[in-house]
Amino acid sequence: MAALIALPWIEPDKFALHVLSLIAIASIAAMGLQVLLGYSGQLSIGQAAFYGIGAYTSAFLTAKLGVPFPLALIGAGIAAAIASLLMVPITRLTGAYLAVATLGFSIIVYLFIKNEEWLTGGSYGFIGIPRAELFGYVLRDARSSYYLNVGVGAIVYFVFARIEGSRFGRAINAIRQDADAARASGIRVTLLKSECFVIAAFVAGLAGSLYAHEVRYLAPNDFTFWKSIEILIMVVIGGVGSLAGAILGAAVVVGLPEYLRAIGDYRMLVFGAILIATMLFGEGGLAALAATLGRRLHALAMRLILKPTASRKAAP
Amino acid sequence: MGALSLSQLIDLVVGGLAIGCVYSLIALGFAMIMRATNIIHFAQGEVMMLGSMCGLTSLWLLPALPLPVVIAVGMASSGLIAVAMELAVYRTLRRRRVPIMNIITATVGMSILCINAARIIWGSEPLRFPELFATTAYDFGGVRMSPQLFWIMVMGVAIMGALQLFLKHTPTGLAMQAVAQDHEAAQLMGANLTRIMAYTFAISGMMAGAAGIMLGSMFFAFFEMGFITGLKGFVAATLGGLGSIAGAMLGGILFGLIETFSTVFLSSAYKDGIGMILLIAILLVLPSGLVGLWQKRR
Repeated sequence: MAALIALPWIEPDKFALHVLSLIAIASIAAMGLQVLLGYSGQLSIGQAAFYGIGAYTSAFLTAKLGVPFPLALIGAGIAAAIASLLMVPITRLTGAYLAVATLGFSIIVYLFIKNEEWLTGGSYGFIGIPRAELFGYVLRDARSSYYLNVGVGAIVYFVFARIEGSRFGRAINAIRQDADAARASGIRVTLLKSECFVIAAFVAGLAGSLYAHEVRYLAPNDFTFWKSIEILIMVVIGGVGSLAGAILGAAVVVGLPEYLRAIGDYRMLVFGAILIATMLFGEGGLAALAATLGRRLHALAMRLILKPTASRKAAP
Repeated sequence: MGALSLSQLIDLVVGGLAIGCVYSLIALGFAMIMRATNIIHFAQGEVMMLGSMCGLTSLWLLPALPLPVVIAVGMASSGLIAVAMELAVYRTLRRRRVPIMNIITATVGMSILCINAARIIWGSEPLRFPELFATTAYDFGGVRMSPQLFWIMVMGVAIMGALQLFLKHTPTGLAMQAVAQDHEAAQLMGANLTRIMAYTFAISGMMAGAAGIMLGSMFFAFFEMGFITGLKGFVAATLGGLGSIAGAMLGGILFGLIETFSTVFLSSAYKDGIGMILLIAILLVLPSGLVGLWQKRR
């Protein structure tokens, strides 16, 4: 925690901070899917839909309506959550059917973003998104937006960390293990499953809003099925069921290609292979690996990843 | 929009039936794998795409190849690829008795792997097939029809007919049906489960390969063509009734018609969305598809 706060002062490289911001944003979306998949056992390949809805809602509210950023952030989460209510009937579906239905939903949302030019700018993209501001203070430099993104990420992390041991957390865990047995024990399965959907959509919306104000330009291609699959990969290679794993997965999926430009073209090829390999060899993903190595080594690894960037000052 | 002339209507129906045959072939692959293993094979569209690419490559190497040979190349390469996936990954996962979701996640990984491998091998530009069909329209008693669409329909029906004969009248086909119904019982009757599973993947891959050549010749071959088309094949399989062979054929044709007509009458920008809305609607309202509806009425 202290390391995260101190980091921008030790390592003030703009590009590194931007990448860390993107990692924080991705991990928010990934933690949402972790609750959905890891805790309640529902596979969604459509998280990009909620991420996109959040991003465009926030962009629209701030750029077109002049709504202050904190409200737009919450608004983005709420818009995504409301959109996910459309999906509530779908939570009756299980397993692969649910996965396909969410994928279908995300394709519909992508087509909407691409075709409704009056609202989203269509293929030209949404430009002119203002910087994030908090209480009249505009977050101008990479350091302050780093604090914003990591801060929201930390809040999501701590809230979700409390879910696990709570009554709600135990109930959805029971649903994941055996929905029929859970129903027989008086757990309202459909309601709780839907709640997980709404929670995951809400944080995906938050992540979308943060992304919109970090990058300040949105294009439909940021929200294709590939994005959904990326979020899924983060969760799976990080370790299904582990919040820290979701963050670790986000760091790998977002951070690695930024620093290993050489793997650029092969990036998704590598991730596809890792996905299969994780299924074949290591169920717990990176989180299980990391758990054995311990927290200290984790911090050390973060420093090692950041070192090589001191030499490059590329602006984001 | 507005009123259509008769010849325009016929054009639409023929176009819908031809693309419907393509969807049927992909849907058959989904259905066969679904029946035998209970997994949704997300990489089915990619198997199709790779078949299309291999067929096209064979045409580059030997430009004089006749159409049936190209189709055979596509079917053979897709079949081999599907079997390789099964033997390398899915079989191992099944043996370990991992939750079915893990296998499905692995098929998603397989799909990503194939798309990106294809992008590296064949590049990201759409590739046009050389002219495989006669270009002058056939005339059936005043009804004009493009030879391409005509032959796609003929081949589609022929391949599906051959599959039916194979499943109903050969020992291997019957063993596949038996395995699909009950793994243990079929094994006790002497069916070799590993081999039958490999055959199932081989045949579903071959169906996809044929579809890939047809689709590639109608539009073009493209590294991402498998994803959305594969998904539409799945919509077709769901529409017909998941896990039913007849349902997959019917669902494919029907979905081809629905898509073609809704593109004209509703919106072409949302062409791909129509299938998805249909998919979600079927899963919610009619999860056993058209075949289920028919069985319920009996």
